[in-house]
Amino acid sequence: MNYDCLIVGAGLSGLVCGIRCASEGLRTVIISGGMNALHFSSGSIDLMGYDPSGKVIQSPCRYLKQLEEKKPGHPYSKVGVKTVRESMEFFKKQCGLAGLDLHDNGEENHFHITGLGTMKPSYFSQKSVFNDRLKEAYERKDPIAVLNFDGFRDYFTALTLEQIRGLPLLRGVRITTGKITLPYYFRTERNLHEFRSIDLARVFDSEKYLPRIADEIKKAAGGARIVGLPAFIGIDNFGWIHRRLEDMTGLLIYEVPTLPPSILGMRIDRALKTRFADLGGELSAGDKVFGGEIIDGMLDHVHTENYGSTRHRSRFYVFSTGSFFSGGIRSEFNKIEEPILKLRMSGSQERSKWYSESFFDKKGHPFLSYGVDTGKTLNPYGADGKTVKNLFCVGSILAGYDPIREGSGGGVAISTGYYAAGKIISARKKADLA
Amino acid sequence: MINLENISFDHCIKCTVCTIYCPVARNTHLFPGPKQSGPDAERLRIKNPRLVDASLKYCTNCKRCEIACPSNVKIADIIQDAKWKYTRVFWFRPRDFFMSRTDLAGSAATMFAPLVNFVVSLTIVKLLMEFFLRIPSARAFPTYNNGTFTSWFKKIRGHQGGFKNRVTYFHGCFVNYNKRSLGEDLVRVLNSMKIGVDVVREKCCGVPLIANGYLTRARKNARYNIASLSEQKKSNSGIIVTTSSSCAFALKHEYANLLGLDNSAIYSNTEYITKYLFDRFEDGNIPDMKPVHIRAAYHAPCHLERLGGVMYTIDILKRIPGLDLVILNSECCGIAGTYGFKKEYYKVSQDIGQHLFKLIDRANPEYVITDCETCAMQIEMNTQYQVIHPVTLLAMALK
Repeated sequence: MNYDCLIVGAGLSGLVCGIRCASEGLRTVIISGGMNALHFSSGSIDLMGYDPSGKVIQSPCRYLKQLEEKKPGHPYSKVGVKTVRESMEFFKKQCGLAGLDLHDNGEENHFHITGLGTMKPSYFSQKSVFNDRLKEAYERKDPIAVLNFDGFRDYFTALTLEQIRGLPLLRGVRITTGKITLPYYFRTERNLHEFRSIDLARVFDSEKYLPRIADEIKKAAGGARIVGLPAFIGIDNFGWIHRRLEDMTGLLIYEVPTLPPSILGMRIDRALKTRFADLGGELSAGDKVFGGEIIDGMLDHVHTENYGSTRHRSRFYVFSTGSFFSGGIRSEFNKIEEPILKLRMSGSQERSKWYSESFFDKKGHPFLSYGVDTGKTLNPYGADGKTVKNLFCVGSILAGYDPIREGSGGGVAISTGYYAAGKIISARKKADLA
Repeated sequence: MINLENISFDHCIKCTVCTIYCPVARNTHLFPGPKQSGPDAERLRIKNPRLVDASLKYCTNCKRCEIACPSNVKIADIIQDAKWKYTRVFWFRPRDFFMSRTDLAGSAATMFAPLVNFVVSLTIVKLLMEFFLRIPSARAFPTYNNGTFTSWFKKIRGHQGGFKNRVTYFHGCFVNYNKRSLGEDLVRVLNSMKIGVDVVREKCCGVPLIANGYLTRARKNARYNIASLSEQKKSNSGIIVTTSSSCAFALKHEYANLLGLDNSAIYSNTEYITKYLFDRFEDGNIPDMKPVHIRAAYHAPCHLERLGGVMYTIDILKRIPGLDLVILNSECCGIAGTYGFKKEYYKVSQDIGQHLFKLIDRANPEYVITDCETCAMQIEMNTQYQVIHPVTLLAMALK
């Protein structure tokens, strides 16, 4: 096949890699089976949230410089701080081009409020989740109202309230809860109890009920200046709707990530897929890569489920197949493996070593940092132990970091995807010159 | 007892991603979405068939839920299966009967094609059909050929024997009765690549039968097709091609997964045409082409996407010189075979398509290209663009 780059998996890392390759004019295809984990994410991008003791990191890039010496096996150390910075800027720019504006705090982490009412350090948040005006309002100790739609089951304001009251940042702030009712729903066959975030997001997207919703929000806010709403202010036209609601109510409105399906995550998914398609990238969404053949240290071809005998060929390959959840790594009773090529893994094969006894163990669970072992340039090793030179592994398939404990999943996906694309582009250019 | 092959619903992790991408749930609250209708309700149905929900009938079987599912659950198959297994269907259904017998209706209509096309286009006939048959009067009908593809093919069959390398062409009902020109284009394209075409006796692949609940009949057709196609395999290259993405999907997947038949004799050598052409092009067998100077938008049909075949069509299209190609974001056109021809679903069907029609207008093409015959009908009815098949475009580019 005359592809320059064949990417397996259309998640955060695969899409970032694909966008960068396609933007340099490389013929790029992504083969993906099933939707990505962005649909289950908060929709904010974490770069590095916590150090090993669990302390919040203020300035992730400065921390990554120390990490380079302390943990050379960490994906960030492999790609280097300079590339990490570049990749985050690239990501922000690409999202912006697709109409998704991200807030950054000038290379510092900021905090956004989670569905449980805790504060989470993040590097990028969508403008409807956190922005400068909100930051100022929090600092002014403006009163907050946490609202929900009456009957919507995937969000609990009481739970948020309980937590949020104890936050040091919001000490002394008046916080209330409230309910929004929408008479429109009582005329449908289904009641609000059956609705998920996606159904409500579509109601917002239709823009039909905005004046009515704005009135209800004002009523329910009861004098508060800041209003928190579960995140479903539209999927397609969210920026405009958010601004419109703020204008209509005269309040500051922020979105709180909800249970899956995550509307905030879907917005990122859409933005990236739109960019990829706009740049001429090809996405094959209904098929799954299940095998391939390595010849003399080069991945020669891969096979897909629907076209078993066909050899899909490309000059370079990228595996962004995810971790255990997405099937990039598979576990059996006493075995973990990379299912497509049986690439060399890092991690214990002994089941009892996979997890810690306590679910909320401060040290985390060992299996979370298991993954495919790679060299400095993210090239994995085949089952025979030899480097596969034209294959890169990116994102959560990689070993050597714990996305949960570090708060680093998004950043690792973006920076490794970006880095692999860079390697492929420069190799391609070199080949063209020769 | 639970059939062990059918427990993929147990892999569902309740993430609701399928419901996000369900074009029906997006446009009507009457359908609770694939998660609830499929894996969720299946547990209950197995326990007590009386717990079946009438909203199942809103599923169009577009398979987008299966494409979206991160856990490999065969959601649409579960719904299709349950739709007919658990619901009691009234036996007298003249509309559904004729709609699903595309070969019966087709062979009758092609005999009097000009008359049939004229009569069906009359407003009074449309109103009568809406009243008596519940077929929406606003719906445009496909026109019938004057004479079938197979009768045309008989005239050129002798010529095809001259090619050493020949493939079997499963033309399907649409080419045979409604769009003979597509079959003719295919023969021209393949012949220009020194490949001959064989046609065998075939029956409707079964897609409309499955959609309307005539599963016994669908199984009968499937057995006939499997036997007929595997017999022909022996006397040529052994490869079977189709120009209909839905026929290909039925032959390859639904025969086994939904109808429970053994299609291993044809499974691995049945290909949707662009995959076959892609392989030949890769071998270096590319026809001589001249620049077409066309700006076109490509719409990927749901079933081809489920087959993973979209990348091959795009590859073929990219090789046509002078084609300015816009690849549209993946959206369902809404027609879903016979679904869009039924009054009770007509509004949903049209609403689903609006997103695609907007994309097409924004792309501002001269032509729309798509692989699926019913997608083409829906797009032609709702936009001002002419819709052509990738093979037709290839034929246009031939020197």
